[in-house]
Amino acid sequence: MTAPTRSRLGTREVCLLLGALLIVAGVASACIGAFTFTPAQVVHYLAQGLGWQAIPAGNDELGRRVFLELRLPRVILAGVTGAVLGVSGTLMQGLFRNPIVEPGLAGTSAGAALGAALVFVFGERTTLAFTAPLGSFAVPALAFAGGFAATMLVYRLSVSFGKVDVFTLLLAGIAVNAVCGAGTGFLSYVARDPQARNITFWNLGTFTTAEWRGVTLVTICFALGYAWCQRYGKALNALMLGEAEAGYLGIDTRRLTLMLLVVNTLMVAVATAMVGVIAFIGLVVPHVLRMLKSSDYTFLLPASALLGAVVMEVIDIVARVLIPPAELPIGIITAVIGAPVFLWILMRQRRGLSGFYG
Amino acid sequence: MVELRDISFVVGNKRILDGLSAEFGERRFNVILGPNGAGKSTLLKIATGMAQPTSGLVRYAGVDVATLGKDRLATTRAVLSQHVELAFALPAEDVVMMGRYPHYGRTPSARDREIVGRALEIVGMSDRRSQAYPTLSGGERQKVQLARVLAQIWNYDDPRLPKYLFLDEPTSSLDIHYQIHLLDVARGLLDFDCTVVAILHDVNVALHYGDYFLMLSEGRVAAATDGAGITRELLERVFQVRAHRVLDPEAGEQLWRFTL
Repeated sequence: MTAPTRSRLGTREVCLLLGALLIVAGVASACIGAFTFTPAQVVHYLAQGLGWQAIPAGNDELGRRVFLELRLPRVILAGVTGAVLGVSGTLMQGLFRNPIVEPGLAGTSAGAALGAALVFVFGERTTLAFTAPLGSFAVPALAFAGGFAATMLVYRLSVSFGKVDVFTLLLAGIAVNAVCGAGTGFLSYVARDPQARNITFWNLGTFTTAEWRGVTLVTICFALGYAWCQRYGKALNALMLGEAEAGYLGIDTRRLTLMLLVVNTLMVAVATAMVGVIAFIGLVVPHVLRMLKSSDYTFLLPASALLGAVVMEVIDIVARVLIPPAELPIGIITAVIGAPVFLWILMRQRRGLSGFYG
Repeated sequence: MVELRDISFVVGNKRILDGLSAEFGERRFNVILGPNGAGKSTLLKIATGMAQPTSGLVRYAGVDVATLGKDRLATTRAVLSQHVELAFALPAEDVVMMGRYPHYGRTPSARDREIVGRALEIVGMSDRRSQAYPTLSGGERQKVQLARVLAQIWNYDDPRLPKYLFLDEPTSSLDIHYQIHLLDVARGLLDFDCTVVAILHDVNVALHYGDYFLMLSEGRVAAATDGAGITRELLERVFQVRAHRVLDPEAGEQLWRFTL
């Protein structure tokens, strides 16, 4: 068997390339949609929005407001969400020591969605004792609680004696996803009609709800989470050898696992609370990077953030232009692309070839 | 010297190790022998600082292991286990570089890279350095792991720094060629002021390579001796077998054959 040709570019070069790609995808995403903008307009609006450029007198008020209040937060939300899901897939694959894990499969997203749906349905109608003190943070807080509980359950079930059992992992993920899905379904059933439609749509993944407050929260959580976990590239590499060997190399695996699960759940839960459940990005993005270059986590962490953002911008463009004037839910597109990739990885793993792709 | 003082290890009401003391001499090949369930693996976990004994203490060259920081411990001693699988296709040299992780921060230095190269050379895997680890044979993988633990405690050019290599049944899934190669390399480290502590199952292999033997039985020391102290009576009592002496006329070496 011949090894696939891998990129000889260094981590820095690949990341610069992906960064350039992200700028292109971001500008394209800012231009394309029900309102079409030229790249020049985008630059002007951005400068005006940041206060670097005086707002010219004229009748361009509508365009500017559409761009600054609807389009721009959406572009940023899509990019940051993609980065969150890419990094999360990388982190979870490192922790579970398996390339088929991602937040959608391990229950993190579904648990977070259930937590958020609880607040959507009950929080506004009856000021519940448990949501009132949290104020406007009730949605992300409960999303975190739900996501963390679900992830821990799947992790505990699938890890025994320091080893991860893949099939227990998948089955536990299915069960936890089913329970959380049923909970969210029940909530949309008992909800009043407009709420119910919102939950159903949101649960399939959407960026239409992007507004600056939410975008800021998701971005801050991602920035903090990424800054924290990017130091653990070496530790995640060592963890590939198994918990005992990583321990001999001076890594406190119990602490590492707990910290990364908390940080990962925080990023994913807050993003899920804003945009709903988007599966398979966390699976496909690290997979592509492993094939292109390497499974070294010091490379995968920054690269999966960038590639995740690029992929999500492109998917969001597709969602906007495919069936105008309506919009396709994001989760539908990612599932159509991601599920076959997932099956492919699973089949290779069953044949014991998992190591070969990288 | 690795010094074990009055080590007891209790889980629930089961005493796995019971007031065990031993000293593994500097620059010697020390072997831990004993039947399954004698407490060998638990002893190794405690001796490598990965488990706290219920009572007692472990010292490396007079320093209590519990007081060594994680990185200090990781640069002083390394452990080679039975077989290590990887679910991801890292190249062999990246796996060896993991041995240097406790030594550097963000990026490896030129010296770290040089050490990885020399470690690969010692185990004879230089020409396979960029091959994906999971595509190597079982024996080759163990060679790469050996190179990794060599790189981990690599300060062979400074005899003042103590270094300890622990081997946890390292040859149990290897064919004869790889077994001999691995133990030869480990034995060769003694010339570089390294102290070796190995759990081995094959009594004849142990006697061939070892200088000092700690025989465990039911959590206690059954014998602590050089090769001459491994007697028929001791082997028969500890392993519950009948032992027969055989002479290898060519090498003039004493071998053991066992029956039930």
